[in-house]
Amino acid sequence: MRRTSRRADTITYAVLIAGLLITLVPFVQSLLTALKTPEQFASSPATALPNPVTLQNFGDLLSRYGFLRAVLVTLAVVVTIVVVQVTCSVLAAYAFARLRFPGRDALFWAYLGTLMVPAIVTTIPLYTLFAQAGLRDTFWGIIAPSLLGSPYAVFLLRQHFLAIPHDLVNAATLDGAGTLRTLWSIAVPISRPIIATLVVITAVSHWNNFLWPLIITSGGDWQVLTVATASLQTQYNGNWTLVMAAAVISLTPLLALFLVFQRQIVSSLAIRGIR
Amino acid sequence: MGARADRREAVTGYAFVLPSFVGFLAFLAVPIAVVVWLSFQHWDLITPARFVGVQNWLSVFADDRFVRSLGITALFVAIAVPLQTAFGLLVGVLLSRRVPGSGLFRVAFLIPWISAPLTLGIVWKWIFAPTDGLLNAVIGHRVEWLASPQLVLGSIIFVAVWSNVGYVSLFFAAGLGAIPEEVIEAARIDGAGGGQTFWRIQLPLLRPTTFFVLVTSLISAFQIFDTVYALAPNGGPRGAANVVSGRIYHEAFQSFDFGRASVMALVLMLILVVATVASRLYFSRRTEYELS
Amino acid sequence: MRSSTRTLTRLVAGLAGIAALAVGLSGCSGPGSSDGPGGKTTVTFRIWSDDAVAAAYEKSFDSFTRANPQITVKVDQVPWANYWDTLRTDLSAGSGDDIFWTNAYNFAPYADNAKLVDISSALKNEVDAWEPSAVTQYTRKGTLWGVPQLIDGGKVLYYNKELVGKAGVDLTDLAWNPEHTADDTFLPALKKLTVDSAGRTADEPGFDGTNLKQYGFNASNDFDAIIGNFVGSNGGLYQSGGKYTFASNAKAEQAIEYVVNLVDKYHVAPSAADTNGNADFTRDQFLQGKLAVFESGAYNLATIHSSAKFDWGIAPIPAGPAGRIPVTNSIIAAGNAASKHADATLKVLRWIGSEKGSLALGASGSLIPAVTAAQGPYFAYWAKQGVNAKPIVDGVADGTLKNDIIPNAAATSDDLTTALDEIFAGRSNGSIAAALKAAQTAANAGLSE
Repeated sequence: MRRTSRRADTITYAVLIAGLLITLVPFVQSLLTALKTPEQFASSPATALPNPVTLQNFGDLLSRYGFLRAVLVTLAVVVTIVVVQVTCSVLAAYAFARLRFPGRDALFWAYLGTLMVPAIVTTIPLYTLFAQAGLRDTFWGIIAPSLLGSPYAVFLLRQHFLAIPHDLVNAATLDGAGTLRTLWSIAVPISRPIIATLVVITAVSHWNNFLWPLIITSGGDWQVLTVATASLQTQYNGNWTLVMAAAVISLTPLLALFLVFQRQIVSSLAIRGIR
Repeated sequence: MGARADRREAVTGYAFVLPSFVGFLAFLAVPIAVVVWLSFQHWDLITPARFVGVQNWLSVFADDRFVRSLGITALFVAIAVPLQTAFGLLVGVLLSRRVPGSGLFRVAFLIPWISAPLTLGIVWKWIFAPTDGLLNAVIGHRVEWLASPQLVLGSIIFVAVWSNVGYVSLFFAAGLGAIPEEVIEAARIDGAGGGQTFWRIQLPLLRPTTFFVLVTSLISAFQIFDTVYALAPNGGPRGAANVVSGRIYHEAFQSFDFGRASVMALVLMLILVVATVASRLYFSRRTEYELS
Repeated sequence: MRSSTRTLTRLVAGLAGIAALAVGLSGCSGPGSSDGPGGKTTVTFRIWSDDAVAAAYEKSFDSFTRANPQITVKVDQVPWANYWDTLRTDLSAGSGDDIFWTNAYNFAPYADNAKLVDISSALKNEVDAWEPSAVTQYTRKGTLWGVPQLIDGGKVLYYNKELVGKAGVDLTDLAWNPEHTADDTFLPALKKLTVDSAGRTADEPGFDGTNLKQYGFNASNDFDAIIGNFVGSNGGLYQSGGKYTFASNAKAEQAIEYVVNLVDKYHVAPSAADTNGNADFTRDQFLQGKLAVFESGAYNLATIHSSAKFDWGIAPIPAGPAGRIPVTNSIIAAGNAASKHADATLKVLRWIGSEKGSLALGASGSLIPAVTAAQGPYFAYWAKQGVNAKPIVDGVADGTLKNDIIPNAAATSDDLTTALDEIFAGRSNGSIAAALKAAQTAANAGLSE
């Protein structure tokens, strides 16, 4: 598959490295800021190097600002949502792709339609519902809206299930396997890479989710990382060294997650023909 | 197969869909229905809602800041989405060549996408700052990237494209990797050069990927908020960065006029529905199926 | 492929375990405002994010709980940037914390719609203990709607002693005058303090205002720190009777034009491209030693004290034709009318309105308590740091800007800021006066929508 032309390789590396530099510059600045003392950050230009380099911000976050708890809460939220949501989405997507039932396509398009309404407006009615149900400031309040599946996930998975060759499925049915068994032993293993991708996408988007956790919680106990980071800023002080340290803390688990999953994901994100 | 088997399949189908349907109904459909109802009410969140008929709809369409924001958002989408798709395709092609170190590049390019948008926005604000900003320090010239009405939207587009290229490239790299070797070989044997193979064989086979990427990019680009809020709060110089989500946020949480905010959200939704249906029509007529 | 699958499974199981642990450790539902066993009550107290203030309150509430063992108070910090969104959302659903901070710009709709506890009747014997300007600010139609917690005092000039000394300028008794330039000693002083990249000061020929190395002053589109003070010191009215008047009131318009000229005509302040939408810029330039005179309030005292590497001092703001009249603000703690613990809430409100309850706040040096008897510890704290903070409260000696509240100001404040940003950026079509008039008309129109 690889054409071994050296010229092509040089161009490849040149473009990739240029892209890498442009991609990473903001993160370098962010990391450097996290390593400065607040006093240095205030009294010298933003582009200055940290002098001295200090881990004080990270220490403060973990001790004074309750970031350890925020990490645990966010972890609990994300793991629960990912496990349950992906399961429900796989079931629904398989049904939309390979089972026939009245109203199937109309329902699928209704799912897609909900992606197109900005969250800002749906949040208020949703919040009123949860507040009346007494779920304010609770773990279940944070995860409930996303727990039972996501239209985006159903969309992505359906495209993939559509492309599974019929012969494989038919063979299983002829062997007497029920739908659930076919799903579990044929469709899921084939779709492992796309499911791995979905796990990463879902984890990332809920790790960085801000609006809903902000509104449904109040104060320190159930603060997720994004809200805890926003709480670092006072009315008159951006506290940027702390905020950047928080950003580094938030980024690291996701990076680790991606490194672990990346081989799974890349072996195929192929989306075949769409019916 | 038989009526009974059909019914069993339908029941299984409903059973599989049920968990997500409950979620869809309770947490998506019902709030959206409430939003539709609210579009005909006047509600400021602390006094009871008051029915006002189509007054909100009329006032929103007569609001030239909102109409203007539709134009600005459309311009943003029209430039940002093709740019990020094109760059994503380029990076995807390069990554699919599997040169040594591709794995590391892949992860690095994804870092913008896995970072929280608000902190990214702030760092870019520092980079774009006229005094002491990194960009102006590098080019040696004082340019007012975010304070100039002409440059602010372009700067925002740059940041948006920068954030998404990695994510897009992931899908394209994998899509390219899924094209069987035989197809490429066959083209080479037939005398096709690298360029021809790309444009005539690989790109058409990528259409399903391109469709998914474009639709999801469109939907999220039209709703862009965090980046704009960080780089150009209050809509930017002379309102040149007024995007629809910004107007909706202003209407909902500053004017506290939830009726109008609901109308704006529904208008945005209608635009997205039209855009998605149009994309689907364009692609379904031209999609190649897998060649196996 | 096999072994990585096993690793993955183990990883997921591990994460799920952590998740279960985290959930289990804290119970399935969070505390919230609830009644525990044995008749214990938890009162929730909401402030916007500020670590130092939260710590001070927690100290104060520790003393409270020692005296009232049946009641604990939980301090909730909500991010400042989203405070008003979440407050409105919470109150709309009939929920929210039992007591919450609010400022003058935002409290009126809640007061007018029976969301707040009536303090003038509930705590009528305690009102005398509070700073009168704060009480007036939050009294609507004869009712006081919260317990004043902190006051701003006045505004002062923080200045860089080295830069000011080098220029030979005396800041102790400056005056500015928009009509009679002969009586204006402020602008000439600023000119001496502004240096371009070629080393010329603003009063020398050949001065290049677009290429500054050192700024004289922090004039910018900032109402609390700059504009309000100039309008007040000129005897003008920025807003009155529920509407904006900054353009129709001649003295207000004059004052604003004076400030804009400092930026665009005399170049003694940074360009608006640097300061619009970036409130930190002037303070950061001051702390880097590049800005000589920084007009601000008590809220920046702690930052300047900890981060300035140079010798700095405090001087009074320049006197305008009407005197030294700054804009001042205060913050109250309001009781939630929908609270499920009205009695406990009232007890906490009484506590934070008392001298004993506010002592910890002043002693932390992070805010000036509105309880007048508790203000001493604030100045004692700063005296111990070697800073005389008295000029801040002395700054209101001549009076303060009369600033009638506009109840739904939030509806147009963003657009007003944008319009003023344009004027400061020198992009007014026509005269500044005409542009201000257009901005005022648009802002007032938006209020009545």
